[in-house]
Amino acid sequence: MDIGKAFRLLNQERIVFLLTVLLFVVFSLTLNNFLAAGNLLSLVRSVAVLGILGLGMLIVVLGRGIDLSLVATMAISVAWAMQLVSQGMPVYAAMTSGLLFALGIALITGILVAYAEIPPLFATLAMATFIYGFGRAHMITGTDVVYMPKDMGWIVELGQGHFLGLPMPIVVAAAMALVVFLFLKYTKLGAFIYAIGDNLPASRIGGISVRPMLALQYVISGGIAFVAGIITATSVEAMNTRVVNSNMIYDVILVVVLGGVGLSGGRGNVRNVIVGTLLIGVLMNGMTIMDVQYTIQNVIKSLILLLAIVVDSIVNPRDEQTGQQGDI
Amino acid sequence: MTPVLELKTVFKEFHGVAAIRGVDFTLMPGEVHSLLGENGAGKSTLTKIMAGVYEASSGEVLFDGKPRVFGSPAEALHNGIAMVFQETSLIPSLTVAQNIYLGNEKFLNRLRGIYIAAQQFLQSLNFGVDPTMYVSQLGAAQKQMVEIARAVHHKARVIIFDEPTATLTPEEKHHFFSLIKRLKRDGVSIIFISHALEEALEISDRITILRDGQHVVTDEASNFDRDTIISAMVGRTLSEELYSRDRKRTVRPYGRKVLSVQNLSMGKMVRNTSFSVYGGQITGIFGLIGSGRTETAKIISGVIKRDFFHGGEVRLEGRSVRYRVPRPAVKDGVVYVTEDRKIEGFFETKSIAENIYMNLLSADLNKRSVISHSEMMQLADEWTAKLNVKAIDANARVIELSGGNQQKVVIARSLVQLPKLIIFDEPTRGVDVGAIAELHRVINELADAGLAVVVISSYLPEILNLADRILVSRQGRIVEEFSVDEATEEKIMYAAVH
Repeated sequence: MDIGKAFRLLNQERIVFLLTVLLFVVFSLTLNNFLAAGNLLSLVRSVAVLGILGLGMLIVVLGRGIDLSLVATMAISVAWAMQLVSQGMPVYAAMTSGLLFALGIALITGILVAYAEIPPLFATLAMATFIYGFGRAHMITGTDVVYMPKDMGWIVELGQGHFLGLPMPIVVAAAMALVVFLFLKYTKLGAFIYAIGDNLPASRIGGISVRPMLALQYVISGGIAFVAGIITATSVEAMNTRVVNSNMIYDVILVVVLGGVGLSGGRGNVRNVIVGTLLIGVLMNGMTIMDVQYTIQNVIKSLILLLAIVVDSIVNPRDEQTGQQGDI
Repeated sequence: MTPVLELKTVFKEFHGVAAIRGVDFTLMPGEVHSLLGENGAGKSTLTKIMAGVYEASSGEVLFDGKPRVFGSPAEALHNGIAMVFQETSLIPSLTVAQNIYLGNEKFLNRLRGIYIAAQQFLQSLNFGVDPTMYVSQLGAAQKQMVEIARAVHHKARVIIFDEPTATLTPEEKHHFFSLIKRLKRDGVSIIFISHALEEALEISDRITILRDGQHVVTDEASNFDRDTIISAMVGRTLSEELYSRDRKRTVRPYGRKVLSVQNLSMGKMVRNTSFSVYGGQITGIFGLIGSGRTETAKIISGVIKRDFFHGGEVRLEGRSVRYRVPRPAVKDGVVYVTEDRKIEGFFETKSIAENIYMNLLSADLNKRSVISHSEMMQLADEWTAKLNVKAIDANARVIELSGGNQQKVVIARSLVQLPKLIIFDEPTRGVDVGAIAELHRVINELADAGLAVVVISSYLPEILNLADRILVSRQGRIVEEFSVDEATEEKIMYAAVH
């Protein structure tokens, strides 16, 4: 009976966490350099950007939406800002322009979802295509890759610096996670996002301004995308806009869903994103050391996702008491 | 005669909590068997075990004298056990005929063929539903009819009705009961779950009463009356204090005019309606389903919008208001307590405390943007005590409570917003007898405290018992007003129907 009880305590987050620990132990025992401090840091560092984007996705998903334009916003806004610097604009002015572009475009997405009532899947898909197309056609001249200008000042430190021995991307990701955690758990606006994701009509009748709140979610995630872009660009001293056409956005959804955030809204928190991100980090790092092919890596990632969801649905069967429309 | 269906000492646990504790039940061929009990007594769970929705934790289910376990509702249906659910299980994007034939389609399924067959079939049941209509276009009562038609069409030998009459008008109820009698003549066994005791008494052969997941009594219906049923259900006699008109009650006088509605219109649902609501008394609005009561209440509280042109006027304390969304209404002290708490009443992933606190936050009453846990718990303790919400503590999730306690939380959510005008839409729907008395007490106290209270109900005894003045709504308009002294059930019903 004790085993049964322990079994029932499992949920997707815990399963994924245990899986992460298990993989970690297995890799530590079998792979030579896995436990080295340098490797562990690079492990976390390699998923820092993914984690930051995951936080943006979390906020939107909690409000029963989804943001497929995250990666496009990240790439185009930062690439454009860096190009402005190269063209001679002061760094702060250029960065502010980039941030305002990201927030503005996210606000348009938010308005499309909240006021024009376009389903978030379509609105953000269309906006992703629009941002990339418009950015490449009218904002970014030259090749797909915008290189980082030399005179970026301290901003470069965000990608390359260290703080207390930790690479800055990890520090920034941790700080963002803390901010988002505090925002969701302790502020009124955070509570409203959960409320809207849980039950939109009830939130509305209760007097929450539902539409501005929906738009706000996308604006926040747009801002987070800009930060993620800065980290990416300063780490590798360039922003490759073709990242928009990669499957990065699916990885972002993967870490969110893997950690146990409910796509039907209202369920999940920052911890879920961290757990999901770490699993992907450990997995990718271990497989890279083992020299597993990239294509095989994708297969394994997807199998892990399916496994986590299947185990969760066996352990916590959905019945009409706990189920929600649109649940996965 | 062997019973069609027999349950022997059935137990059912959810997450270690027993919902059904050792219940025995028999269903004879061709009998109408009512299953009564308060909300949370285990009626729905018990019938869902019969219909294959749940599997019993222990005990036996015998069908035709042989032990059977149905793995799914589909399997049960195939064997002749159909359940008409409380929440409709029809597919909204299909037509009536397609829904009736769902799972029974021929390999080559010609729509025209099933429309003609469905038309004849519905006519034979005396149901006035157009088989080519999409289910999403139907009203609640019509959906219920389609659901029943589907069960009959599947040639079910056992049909379980879970609260079938809650959404029906008197005329439709009449149809429904004659249908039940017909089914019974054809040898179909019927299990009937209802809160309307008179209906159960009228229609059943036998009655089984459950309390707290346990079997209390099973007997011939003729050996029961309203009071014996209620005392068996709740373990005490309180029929007297509820819904008795003999008790002398003092009618509250008119207070100041809080709300005045003139020529309000919205599409075809609300047509040019006018009335006023006064402070310090309860205004009861009676009307049949579809008479525009809910829509009128929702327009006043900003949940839906009135017509842009010729939409009429709403005055709150003399000031003309037009709410596009509920938020300004809430800030002005106008709150609407929904009739459908599961869909728009509370947050199912959240605790009682979080649910109540959320509405304080959304009304901007505590002027803070950071959440205070101690403030939340204090608020929750205060309101759960005031409304007597029965739960382990304020951290329990609302979805786990019984209907009556859920309703109390929904009401607490509205009351923390300090309303001037509060509109209760069917405040006691799906609520057990014990909780009804408590809800009525709360509503009376609000009026005594000087609030303008509106109670919308389609249950006449409730309106007669609560209201200080009674408005009757018909076809989108308030057509008549009665004082408590002159009102009788007959007069009100006459006004609502003609």
